[in-house]
Amino acid sequence: MLDGLKDIIRKSSIHVCLVNTGGCNGCDIEVVALLSPRYDLEQYGIYVHNNPREADVLLITGALAEQWKDKLQKIYAKTPEPKVVVAIGNCPLTGDVFNQEGSSVNAPVSDYIPVDAEVSGCPPRPTEILAAILAVGPDAIAARGRQKL
Amino acid sequence: MILPIGPVHPGLKEPLRLKLKTRGEKVLSAEIDYGYIHRGIERIMQGKTWQKGIFLSERVCGICSYIHTQTFAETFEKIAGEQAPLRAQYLRVLTNELDRIQSHLLANSTFFKALEHETLFMYMLTLREPVMDAIELLTGNRVNMGWNVVGGVKMDIKQTHMDQIMQIMNKLETDYGRYVQIYEDGPLVSGLRSKDVGVMTREESIMARAVGPIGRASGLEHDVREQHHTYKDNFDWNVVWRKEGDNFARTMNRFDEVWESISLIKQVINNIPEGDVRKKIDIPAGVAEWRNEAPRGEVTYSIETNGNLIKNISIRTPSIMNIDACAKYMLNDVATVADAVATYASSDPCIACAERVTILDETGSVRDFHGVHNINSNLKG
Repeated sequence: MLDGLKDIIRKSSIHVCLVNTGGCNGCDIEVVALLSPRYDLEQYGIYVHNNPREADVLLITGALAEQWKDKLQKIYAKTPEPKVVVAIGNCPLTGDVFNQEGSSVNAPVSDYIPVDAEVSGCPPRPTEILAAILAVGPDAIAARGRQKL
Repeated sequence: MILPIGPVHPGLKEPLRLKLKTRGEKVLSAEIDYGYIHRGIERIMQGKTWQKGIFLSERVCGICSYIHTQTFAETFEKIAGEQAPLRAQYLRVLTNELDRIQSHLLANSTFFKALEHETLFMYMLTLREPVMDAIELLTGNRVNMGWNVVGGVKMDIKQTHMDQIMQIMNKLETDYGRYVQIYEDGPLVSGLRSKDVGVMTREESIMARAVGPIGRASGLEHDVREQHHTYKDNFDWNVVWRKEGDNFARTMNRFDEVWESISLIKQVINNIPEGDVRKKIDIPAGVAEWRNEAPRGEVTYSIETNGNLIKNISIRTPSIMNIDACAKYMLNDVATVADAVATYASSDPCIACAERVTILDETGSVRDFHGVHNINSNLKG
């Protein structure tokens, strides 16, 4: 019963940390647009906090610029278990237009940290980002929380 | 004591390291480290055709993505010595002003978030969504529009779309004044971390090369749109500027510019001429420089081409000057750390624009992360 209760609470309290690892900012402003009353992220119990130390979901945007290679792993390590990583946009998936000769990006992000969900698009629509967070967030967090107990 | 803020921090949207030198709660000075999102766009563009380059130029910055493609296209048009058809020029003004409205509303909402004024933050985002709809209606995308080409714009606009954009603008014009008033006359809001906080004088803004609403709020009456042929010849509008140079003036300057943008959009829709939206332009070898007014200030493109490929390109974005102005002059003797964060947010920083240079050492690893040399080096001692 306690597990069930914890599941319900965990599912409706998801803290999100947004990490821009070298994109054009487009995905980030779509995440900000999610906060607006039209999409209303917080009705799902999701709170964009930008603090990795208390995050459940790490939203990764950007194509992993040079100095994020080790920093992203540090941020991932600092995030407490259970945690979920959602890669937003084409940049963390493939590097998008930046992944060409002469660039200084190191996409994909999944080479450096494990990624649970990927949303393609340049940038994806806010609803798609929301759907991705909701698809992996609550269940995974509740399930992983049980494993730890 | 040096208080580091960032790169991933609740107060910041984008990665950047802000080092505040504090004594107690008082902020004495600040230093800023860049380099967290350097991608090497200028290097990638070299040796590419403009058809490929224009998509890269759009991704210099996601918030003001439109103006980069317009400046890129107009630089090539200047090399060819031609201009886009008049209807295309009008449509460029329309998109540019829509982009400016959404960018200014986003910037102000970020500032209100830094003030912890959630209500106005939500109001600003609510106002912004219909404008994003108008952009989507016009170009098909919300953020990266892919709308400009050298010689015009990609698609023509239909009358129904113009009517809908007009409706959105009418609605925005009716609603907007109320929210400006909440900020301007609000007894709590305007006193809170706004008035007389983060003051930059006119002389200081000249020395810091501040541009855009940040420079104009300090009394620099300068807007590149005054020199742009489309704006100069066809439209009736005013440069918005203020004298105070504090957080309040910067925010109000952005608020007031939205009125001008709404008026410009209405002028476009009422007076748009018939004709083509695109023409073929043969590009000779050459070099040219072109300036435009982005939402954050003056953006300059300097392109050298051999007629087909881009040989050399240099992009100068407004954010780098504004962020440096913020670090050097606004964050001097600020009363509290919370004031400093609000001041930083009021300078409308866009880090993605600012990243141009990364210095590598012999082994190829990143050694130094400064976009430019920090003009404020008094922290080192």
